[in-house]
Amino acid sequence: MSSERRGFRFWLGRNDVVHNHPSQNRNNLRKIKERIAGRGFFLATWFPLAVLLAIVIALLVRTWPLLGVVSPWEILSGQTWKPLQGLFGMFPFIAGTLWVTLVAMVLAVPPCLLSAIYLAEYARPRVREAAKPLLDLLAAIPSVVYGVWGLVAIVPLVQWLSPRVSGAFGFLPFLRSSNPTGFSILAGGIVLAVMVAPFIIAVTYEVLRSVPAGGREASLAIGATRWQTIKYAVLPQSRAGISAGIVFGVSRALGETMAVLMVVGNVSKVPSSIFDPAYPLPALIANNYGEMMSIPLYDSALLGAALVLLLVVLFFNIISALALRRITGRTQV
Amino acid sequence: MNKRVWQATVAILILAVVLTGCGGKSADQQSGELSGTITISGAWALYPMMTRWAEEFKKLNPKVEFDVSAGGAGKGMTDALSDIVDIGMVSRDITPEEEGKGAFWVAVTKDAVLPVINAQNPVLQDLLSKGLTRQALIDIYITGQIKTWGEAVGRPEVTTPINVYTRSDAAGAPETWAKYLGKKQEDLLGLGVFGDPGLLDAVIKDPNGIGFNNLGYAFDNQTGNPVAGAVVLPIDVNEDGKADADEVLETKAETVQAVATGKYPSPPARAENLVTNGPPTGLIKAFIEWILNDGQKFVDEAGFVQLTKEQLDASMQKLK
Repeated sequence: MSSERRGFRFWLGRNDVVHNHPSQNRNNLRKIKERIAGRGFFLATWFPLAVLLAIVIALLVRTWPLLGVVSPWEILSGQTWKPLQGLFGMFPFIAGTLWVTLVAMVLAVPPCLLSAIYLAEYARPRVREAAKPLLDLLAAIPSVVYGVWGLVAIVPLVQWLSPRVSGAFGFLPFLRSSNPTGFSILAGGIVLAVMVAPFIIAVTYEVLRSVPAGGREASLAIGATRWQTIKYAVLPQSRAGISAGIVFGVSRALGETMAVLMVVGNVSKVPSSIFDPAYPLPALIANNYGEMMSIPLYDSALLGAALVLLLVVLFFNIISALALRRITGRTQV
Repeated sequence: MNKRVWQATVAILILAVVLTGCGGKSADQQSGELSGTITISGAWALYPMMTRWAEEFKKLNPKVEFDVSAGGAGKGMTDALSDIVDIGMVSRDITPEEEGKGAFWVAVTKDAVLPVINAQNPVLQDLLSKGLTRQALIDIYITGQIKTWGEAVGRPEVTTPINVYTRSDAAGAPETWAKYLGKKQEDLLGLGVFGDPGLLDAVIKDPNGIGFNNLGYAFDNQTGNPVAGAVVLPIDVNEDGKADADEVLETKAETVQAVATGKYPSPPARAENLVTNGPPTGLIKAFIEWILNDGQKFVDEAGFVQLTKEQLDASMQKLK
């Protein structure tokens, strides 16, 4: 009978506390699973960092032959890019990258913040539900489409705008126009601003929505207006998150290639006005990718340009992370 | 739910395997029938000709698929050498460095790069009656000494600036144009616009613009006239101070004639090359051989210039 009972328990009692043995096994299995999962997450976290490191190393290795001929300082500060004559000055490209990005951010950030605040704080749910997918859609448009749009709409607009602005505000050097065409930093900046807007809005919106309702309710309860509530109760808590959103937008703007390339004019001269043409680093790489095989050191120079671009983006990210830590007094962004 | 996910995953995997199976190229030895996919990229100049060839070749060999894309001669070269495509279209000379990296090339046809101005140019009549000499073009494109249209035609009272456009992407047309002016693409002044169509568009939109285009883009394929809004700028080849009848290129046919007879200088006329990574074999070789023989019938109607028989024979010889 006992053996019969045991058999019965054996089949039915797998979860029965009476049987220590199988349940202990289960515990071990759980621990192993837990450990494997932990390891998996660890690897998943470090893998992208390893990839970044691998990219930097690969670029460095390929740039090395160039560094043997030209000093890094000459590459970063040189004004002339004529690889066939052995001149590899990348300063006009670095300046072009920064100019276009700066103009884009000046144009994009204020309206994006206002739009995100509106969507998160003011808009009725129905408006929000209609507007959000549309903004997300903006992020999904391929960059070459933005480029064509820039060519058709923005370049002529800037061409129309530049003599007028230059005539009225020409006493400011950065608004003086000597370029009779619309291919300019401003055109690139406008296209870029539209491209990064959905990203900045999306991040800012999420950050604002994640601020707990308590502060808001308390502020409104003591008679503050909506704007006062936003200004004193919501924004101070979301400063770090909003900055992160802007940094994200800048990083995207620094690297955007095709759309900018099509409208920015691609002249390798250091610009001095928003109406000047510029030549950002990604455009340099994309335009000359085809010549890589033809001239000695050219591929080295182009990969050097990629390395410089990567360093510019990294430098910017690190600086902004440090600045953010200063502002918020926190280590986490 | 879980089951759905599994089913979807399996379906996608099966689809992926099936689609991968579609690739591959082979010349079926037993039936002699050609099959497979030929991928081609490169020069904007050769693109219209290549799509025509692909179309005709496909009529004869229905099992052959083509994937042709344009992206500039440099892209064609790099893609071919890094095995991204089977054939690269390169509309400039192949450098010794590229040959050193395994580039095998044959010339298949000929065309030209033409200077293009806007039809509303402020000194259009002067330009059409006098043309511009090579030296004037050098002063516009290389040294930047000529800055206004008035200076270009010797009428100092006209002070409209010349808006110089060039190509931003590394390509055969700017390289050939720069070669004509004694320099390299990196020495060309002007605003860089991406692609052949982009450059033409910029000039059409700008009455003070000057650019350069491949034969196939400067002229409308249907009518044989220059694309609306653009005019081909006559080059005063013999430098007699006027544009002679054979220097004014008003239609595609005239231009093809001028290139074929050598009246139009070379460069900017140039041979169009096909590049493979090492000598081609199988299907790719068969296709290139067809281009050099039967394919030549379509060259005229596509608006390109036939190579001489000696040049074609040399290309065939090289393939063997």
